[in-house]
Amino acid sequence: MLSPIRSLLKMPVLAMLAALTLVSHAADAARLKVGITLHPYYSFVANIVGDRADIIPLIDADANPHGYAPQSADMIRMMSMDVLVVNGIGHDSWAFEILDAAGMRKKLKLIYANDGVSLIPVAGAPNGEKVVNPHTFISTTAAIQQIYTIARKLGELDTANATFYRDNARRYALQIRKLRAEFDAKITGADLSKFRCATMHSGYDYILQELGLQVTAVIEPRHGVEPTARQLAETIDRIKAAKVNVLFAEKYFASKLSDTIRQATGVRMYSISHISSGKYTPEKFVDEMRENLNTFAQAINDSSKGA
Amino acid sequence: MTTASLQLVRPAGARYEGLLLATAAAVIVATLVLYVRELGRHESHEPLYDWQVSAFDTLTGPDQAIYNALFTAKDDIPYIYDDINIDTPDNAVFRWPSLKDLQDSELAPFLHDRSWEQNGSVKWTLYEPLAKGEMQGSTMYLGTDGTHPQQGSFLLVVGHTHAGVQNKNVISIWWNAKNHVVMPQSGFRDGLILQGWREVVPHSGAQEVKRIFGDDSASSTSTEEDQKQADQAIQGLTGN
Repeated sequence: MLSPIRSLLKMPVLAMLAALTLVSHAADAARLKVGITLHPYYSFVANIVGDRADIIPLIDADANPHGYAPQSADMIRMMSMDVLVVNGIGHDSWAFEILDAAGMRKKLKLIYANDGVSLIPVAGAPNGEKVVNPHTFISTTAAIQQIYTIARKLGELDTANATFYRDNARRYALQIRKLRAEFDAKITGADLSKFRCATMHSGYDYILQELGLQVTAVIEPRHGVEPTARQLAETIDRIKAAKVNVLFAEKYFASKLSDTIRQATGVRMYSISHISSGKYTPEKFVDEMRENLNTFAQAINDSSKGA
Repeated sequence: MTTASLQLVRPAGARYEGLLLATAAAVIVATLVLYVRELGRHESHEPLYDWQVSAFDTLTGPDQAIYNALFTAKDDIPYIYDDINIDTPDNAVFRWPSLKDLQDSELAPFLHDRSWEQNGSVKWTLYEPLAKGEMQGSTMYLGTDGTHPQQGSFLLVVGHTHAGVQNKNVISIWWNAKNHVVMPQSGFRDGLILQGWREVVPHSGAQEVKRIFGDDSASSTSTEEDQKQADQAIQGLTGN
């Protein structure tokens, strides 16, 4: 048994420990829990918040966000979020099904990453129809615009860290802009007039526009929808007539269709990452965009040499 | 044996029954048509004024690419303004980013890279605000002489407040169908319109969300609030 004097001496220590525990709990409670729907948004948020907030991916890392079927575990994850960052313009419509199923539609704050993005139509849409392209995250400039929006809105929710988020967003934006400089260095002296490209789907319209490259034809009439035999025949004719020499296809979803087109037209095929699968990491967006830009540079250099 | 005779007895309201039925059918069809045409109509874009042009529907190719780059640059310019004036004393004149400042920040469409060449090597000029007259309170970045056929010119206007000048604290982007234009005589909206400039309006993600979800979209902040914040940010920068 402790003597009364020793007990008294211990009391301030215990009080301090209790106070520290309370402060620690308060800090935990104050830490934002930011949900995200797509892989690029994980990287964006991670680079904005650093170690000052927690990031919760809404769906498992290995789930395919194209045509995703919501799971009960998603609702549980959603319940723990303070705010959810969404694409909101067609690439994560399943997130809204989860919101409804969890009864969180009116309760959970949403950050629409694309709020401030100037959208472009899908290139090569049938009949010249102007359909909004939701692939804003496969880009550099449009990605930066989203990063600024996310940082600003997180700063509104977490005012104590608003400046920290803004500064991180700017640093990250510059890192993304440097990717373009690396790309430029790789195509020094290349003759861009010989470069004519088609894409399997409209996923690369934003980045190609930012690089100053035009898309001549898009194979799939809608993302994930294979063309009819007639549409395919017309597209092949268009590729031949426009002397398209490069076809960009999705890296992790190779299809027999791209092989058919390659055989029918003689185009060279290159694979581009959709940045929508694999482990969630802060580096993923920059790493995969660098890889994509290297692939674009390779395609340009091959066209330039007439390979 | 009696002979059966057939007698047709018409109901009392027979005369009107067919007519009523046809009228009811016509009313139902007309109601459905009206519903589909009016209530079911889903406008894809915000309506534009005559002096505006849609980046989504009208601009194409290099001009659309330049506009989209400018659209992000307008968020960077106030940040760069902050950076370059951080050591400027309060009583000194603050300056707006030069083209070199923008290029040092790797900012498209001002940076002279391959994308700039592909988009027509547009020549940019900065016009700093003047102390007096119509140009007071407007910093402008003018982009002209693109090499593509039918390429237009661009004007990014940073409007800000100075004493006695009623100018809105916003950054706006204007497009002129002419390939070569000279410095506008006025930085104000009406003056620009009279000189053939049209304000470029994006189809933004916020508008697309509204189109998909209606006004019910539960965003943490609205576009109007964003605009208000941008206004305040520029007010803060230029309120000296």
